[in-house]
Amino acid sequence: MSTVITDKLDNRIDDPSKQPTLITGGLSFGDLTDTVCDVVERPAPKLWFPLFSLAALLAGVLFGLIGYLIFSGVGIWGNNSPVNWGFPIVNLVFWIGIGHAGTLISAILFLFRQKWRTSINRFAETMTIFAVICAGIWPGIHVGRIWVVHYIFPIPYSQGAWPNFRSPLVWDVFAIGTYMTVSLMFWYMGQMPDFATLRDRSTTKARKMIYGLLSLGWRGSNRQWQRYEKAYLLLAGLATPLVLSVHSVVSFDFATSQLPGWHTTIFPPYFVAGAVFGGFAMVMTIAIPARKWLRLENIITPHHLDMMAKILLATGSMVGYAYAMEFFIAWYGGNATEMFTFINRATGPYAWAYWIMVSCNVIIPQLFWVKKIRHNILMVWIIAALVNVGMWFERFVIIVTSLTRDFLPAAWGLFKPTWVDIAMLIGSFGLFASLFLLYMRFGPIVAMAEVKTVMPMAEATDGKRQAQGDYHGSIPGQIQEREKEAERLDS
Amino acid sequence: MNESKRPSHWRSLRALEAGDALRDETRAEFPEGADQAPAALSRRRFLQLMGASVALAGMSGCRWPRETIVPYAHRAPGQIPGETTSFATAMELGGVAQGVLATSFDGRPIKVDGNPGIISTGGAAGPMLQASVLELYDPHRSKSVLKAGEASSWQAFELFAEEHFAALKASGGEGLSILSESSSSPSLTMQRKAFLAEFPAAQWYSYEALSRENISAGLEVAYGTRLRPRFDLEKCQVIVSLDDDFLSDHPDALSLNRAFARGRRAESGHMNRLYMLEPGFSITGGMADQRLPIKASQVQAFLLDLIDAVGGGAAHGEWAHHPFFEALRRDLLAHRGKAVVTAGARQSIEVHALVALLNQELGAPGETLHYSEEKLDPSGAASIKRLSAEMSRGRVKTLLMLGGNPAYDAPVDLGFADKLGTLESSIHLSLHANETSALCKWQLPRSHYLESWGDALTWDGTYCTTQPLIEALYGGKTSQELLSLLIGEGRNGYDIARAALAERFPSSDFEKFWRKTLHAGLVEGHRSTLPAPPPMAVGLRHRLAPPSKDEGLELVFAGDPKVHDGRFAGNSWLQELPDPVSKLTWDNTAQMNPATAEKLGVKDGELVKLSVQGQDLTLPALILPGLAPETVLVNLGYGRKIAGPVGEDVGFDTYVLRASAHMGFAQGLSVSKAGGKHTLAMTQDHWLIDAVGFNERARRVPSLTREGNLAEYKKDPHFATSHEHHPPLISLWDEHVYEGHRWGMSIDLNSCTGCSACSVACQAENNISVVGKEEVARGREMSWIRLDRYFSGDPEDPGMIQQPVACSHCELAPCEGVCPVGATAHSDEGLNDMAYNRCIGTRYCANNCPFKVRRFNWFDYNKEIGETESLVFNPDVTVRGRGVMEKCSYCVQRIEGAKITAKNEGRPLVDGDVTPACAQTCPADAIVFGDLNDKESRVWKMHENARSYSLLGELNLKSRTAYMARVKNPNPELVEDSVEHGHHG
Repeated sequence: MSTVITDKLDNRIDDPSKQPTLITGGLSFGDLTDTVCDVVERPAPKLWFPLFSLAALLAGVLFGLIGYLIFSGVGIWGNNSPVNWGFPIVNLVFWIGIGHAGTLISAILFLFRQKWRTSINRFAETMTIFAVICAGIWPGIHVGRIWVVHYIFPIPYSQGAWPNFRSPLVWDVFAIGTYMTVSLMFWYMGQMPDFATLRDRSTTKARKMIYGLLSLGWRGSNRQWQRYEKAYLLLAGLATPLVLSVHSVVSFDFATSQLPGWHTTIFPPYFVAGAVFGGFAMVMTIAIPARKWLRLENIITPHHLDMMAKILLATGSMVGYAYAMEFFIAWYGGNATEMFTFINRATGPYAWAYWIMVSCNVIIPQLFWVKKIRHNILMVWIIAALVNVGMWFERFVIIVTSLTRDFLPAAWGLFKPTWVDIAMLIGSFGLFASLFLLYMRFGPIVAMAEVKTVMPMAEATDGKRQAQGDYHGSIPGQIQEREKEAERLDS
Repeated sequence: MNESKRPSHWRSLRALEAGDALRDETRAEFPEGADQAPAALSRRRFLQLMGASVALAGMSGCRWPRETIVPYAHRAPGQIPGETTSFATAMELGGVAQGVLATSFDGRPIKVDGNPGIISTGGAAGPMLQASVLELYDPHRSKSVLKAGEASSWQAFELFAEEHFAALKASGGEGLSILSESSSSPSLTMQRKAFLAEFPAAQWYSYEALSRENISAGLEVAYGTRLRPRFDLEKCQVIVSLDDDFLSDHPDALSLNRAFARGRRAESGHMNRLYMLEPGFSITGGMADQRLPIKASQVQAFLLDLIDAVGGGAAHGEWAHHPFFEALRRDLLAHRGKAVVTAGARQSIEVHALVALLNQELGAPGETLHYSEEKLDPSGAASIKRLSAEMSRGRVKTLLMLGGNPAYDAPVDLGFADKLGTLESSIHLSLHANETSALCKWQLPRSHYLESWGDALTWDGTYCTTQPLIEALYGGKTSQELLSLLIGEGRNGYDIARAALAERFPSSDFEKFWRKTLHAGLVEGHRSTLPAPPPMAVGLRHRLAPPSKDEGLELVFAGDPKVHDGRFAGNSWLQELPDPVSKLTWDNTAQMNPATAEKLGVKDGELVKLSVQGQDLTLPALILPGLAPETVLVNLGYGRKIAGPVGEDVGFDTYVLRASAHMGFAQGLSVSKAGGKHTLAMTQDHWLIDAVGFNERARRVPSLTREGNLAEYKKDPHFATSHEHHPPLISLWDEHVYEGHRWGMSIDLNSCTGCSACSVACQAENNISVVGKEEVARGREMSWIRLDRYFSGDPEDPGMIQQPVACSHCELAPCEGVCPVGATAHSDEGLNDMAYNRCIGTRYCANNCPFKVRRFNWFDYNKEIGETESLVFNPDVTVRGRGVMEKCSYCVQRIEGAKITAKNEGRPLVDGDVTPACAQTCPADAIVFGDLNDKESRVWKMHENARSYSLLGELNLKSRTAYMARVKNPNPELVEDSVEHGHHG
């Protein structure tokens, strides 16, 4: 590897033939462990308690309102006929989209050997888990009769009634369920060595116990590392199609219906691109303040932010292409009803939402072409935050504006959210923030073991050691060969 | 049964001795309804209060059975528990009987339909008739006798009456006045005669806020005697309506609808042509082939010009050169003897006299127009004005009111309410406690028509009987019974009704005749028609008062198509029914056309202050196309102050603007903006539409509601579908083959007027919830069949078309595939069924329904319905709980019922055995239902008709409901853009 070693804080380089230093500040392995474990081990930052209280309060509002909802009925939302789906489904798709970046960074970037991902992958995976939790709340509570929601699961009831496997909502159950399961395994497994580190550094009995349990007896032995790497690779392989499938399936909720504005074949790739886009934006929105707050500037470096900004630029452009293509196909397809839906989006009663979406998702990220802006961390954060706004509005535009005006003009209507809609949306951010703040206090927020493998010191050791630690560079065949070799030597 | 009989078991000696007196005492101490909060209740609170009426329902067990209605000790022969029975009876509205077939389930009426024995209506019923069954169970009906607002009893009233009326009798009834609703009831007439014989000096007045008095008065001017015009629309080639909404606001609207529809079936080759001139926009205007928005005050000027022009002379008025006028004149002249002219009740006596003259000129009497004697008392403003004058002079000591609500709906200049409050003695017999009863010394509960013996005459004079289906829930009496009580005769309704029938139709075997009449609900073949009208007064044209001049803004009063004159304000089905034209629920407004609104600077929902001749009122504006220029139209019947929690403070009391001098319309109106807005709950166009939506709607409507001209139809009967272009509609799989029945429906847009009777009938049949104004404003109304109303053309003079839309039971139903739990699926007879138990409420089906006919229970809308009101529920239909989707089922309970009946009778099901509630009640016969596998069925023939088309057929839904394109018959002279019309699709 040709690595340019620089110890200055700005590790961004323009020469694509050269690899920048991924970890700055001249950190040693020990320094890195100290930096990351410090977050958990030192007392909480001053701001933590107020922030957590606020987030928990909002989450409390969410759960309180869920209680109110179950008690009185889904009429407390602004949904109506024709807009039978409103904020809850907008929020569902939004949070599921957020949950995309995690697996993408962990699995796909892993398979593509993008080493810079190691600094942020724990952020991203954690975010995935919490976002899917936030998403999972909505489909459950948005149904009219929550007390029989289990009818949607294929449980062999005595009456012999099965779910309707033709319905995309049933596919959703499987897609989201699978995604959640695999993401959870991936996330948890990746943390085992780090939990072990925390366990080993624990000073109290309780911590030792808890981290000990969480690390599942990890000792860092050669064999454990081997198995671990193999499993990690397998899970990455498993998770990769899921990244594509979960949002494709979510998009089928819309694409397979016959509502103009929903019924388009572009939806699966468009939703996946949008989800990656939104997910990355959320990682950045969280990571930028967190690196400062948790003193992780040397681990999540300007180079990482630069890379992520480039991904935002790329995916934002894809999303922009999808927006344009929807219009083109509506016109090219010659379906007047569909054409109207798109013209209505851009110029009708919800044009404001449409233009918020286009501005935040397509126009503003184009600023990332400019290196100065990409390198201005505050600007990057603002743009990433705006992308989050834009992506929420994308789902609002797709779901609400298409429903307001479908086939029969006499049945057209409008949608106005109620205070409950808005409070529950804010509450879901509260829940997300609560979970994240808790994790920041108690979990290994950076994947230490993985980051170490991309540090220059990893190369300085002997070949064998490198082969074990640097599982990023391994491919299945190599590992098997090495195992065979090891066996041969053993015998 | 004999009440005075000593009870066999008793609780105390006192109870045994005191008998009835003790019961009255107990009642006085624990009066019915005493536990209810007096006023200012929310709708929800009201629904909760219905629970209070449980106690009253329970009281039925303690009642002493009387007369012929007794609980079964043994099951009557032929009586099967759980099976419904029908009884023919009649409801009287404004002095005209509406024949009714009431369905009773285990002793409680649950549904009201038209009496199919009345040939002219064929079993149809309008919205009010359909909703009248809910009125029966209204827990806010007048429940007990009240004396000066305090609980009392019938016995106390009898004691009072005995003394009071004995004193009156001594003076021959001096100082006694009676104010009655209009009534044609022969038994009431008989009882009235007996009453007036006892009190010869008593004065009898009639008053109806929506009186049709001007018509008979106008005919009296023309012919010297009070007459009633009856049209034979089926025979007409040309119909000219001068501000007459005869398809909706007419006592005989049901048969007029039917005849009108029959007179314009494109297939038969006979198409009448309707010219409509009106200041507002009525559903009759929507059916017109040629329509002219005209100020109410200008109708007479137009009519005079028309008379001059038709009479051969030259018209000099300003209308003479209007293209519409010219075309109409020629058309009328070409169809002498096949034309008829009618004018609305709000037009002046002069207009009606002139209409008679014009009809005479056109040779209508005897051909398209028949006269019969008007037997109803004059019930216009003049009548109550006389009473009011008597009251002012102090000549009225005792006022007896039989129904009505004059304190609310009398002309405002009379100050009737104030005068009523000062009377020594006032008695009000009323179904509901209302503004009038609150001012009376005695409030007496009146029995509902479904609890009463009686009779009434239909518009054509057919004698109808009224029989009770249930014992009076709250111990009410009919007018007849009260009059009988007051003269000390105390006969019950049964005896009175029998006596009246015997008097009118003496028969040797009266018992048999009586039973036959009760069974049929009417006496057949006794219509009252004059063979020919008496000779017409000479020189009528120039003898009458000249037409009024155009004086700027005018205010037009209209009866409400839902709450009538306000009497149905407490009926939630009617309050929630969208107005057929404006689609407004739970409100009334100041309607004006866009140009007038622009001139006044008023927007939809903004409050405006109307001032006319010293009276003013602030209410919201509603901008509606098609109204005449400089016209503001207000519906009467809202803003009730005492009407029970449902009707109170709904809308605005427009009677405060209506004086005896201008009962129909008023000139010299001024309008100013009052500042502020009011939420209007409309079921269509909930919000103002933007330009994009407006243009798209205009583009789409022609392909959704297809219509063409008669000329286009003749050229190409398939005009509705011949311009369709979409890719071939192929299925991805072999479609299901239906071996047995394959149900389907056809809706003829050529007949549908939009009267909305189907919507209420469906509500009654299928236990559809009322959700209230706030929920309607949110877009959560529950109607299974809605009427989509579209305007077309110039906003100042638009066309209107109505399209009933319910679940189409698509063969390839988009809702079915997306339901995750399979709660909605196809039956083997092609119905798109809902399994409520299985539904978890994802609402995906509703999103995917292109017709948006699925309705969701956002809350538990039935949670707070009390037991009394729940008696109205149809036991054959599930009452839906919170969180489930519902929609039209094609009345599957009726399909199954008919199948069981046919099976029991050992015969196959035949066409016509199954009729859904909407089709049954449709006065125009626009909805036809049947088996599409039966190639002889009416519905199959209609599906095969050239005009038949599928709504959104390009989506390949294979809908079971097909529509038949409307064919209009405009005057070719007035059609310039005929080519444009037909090319839809």
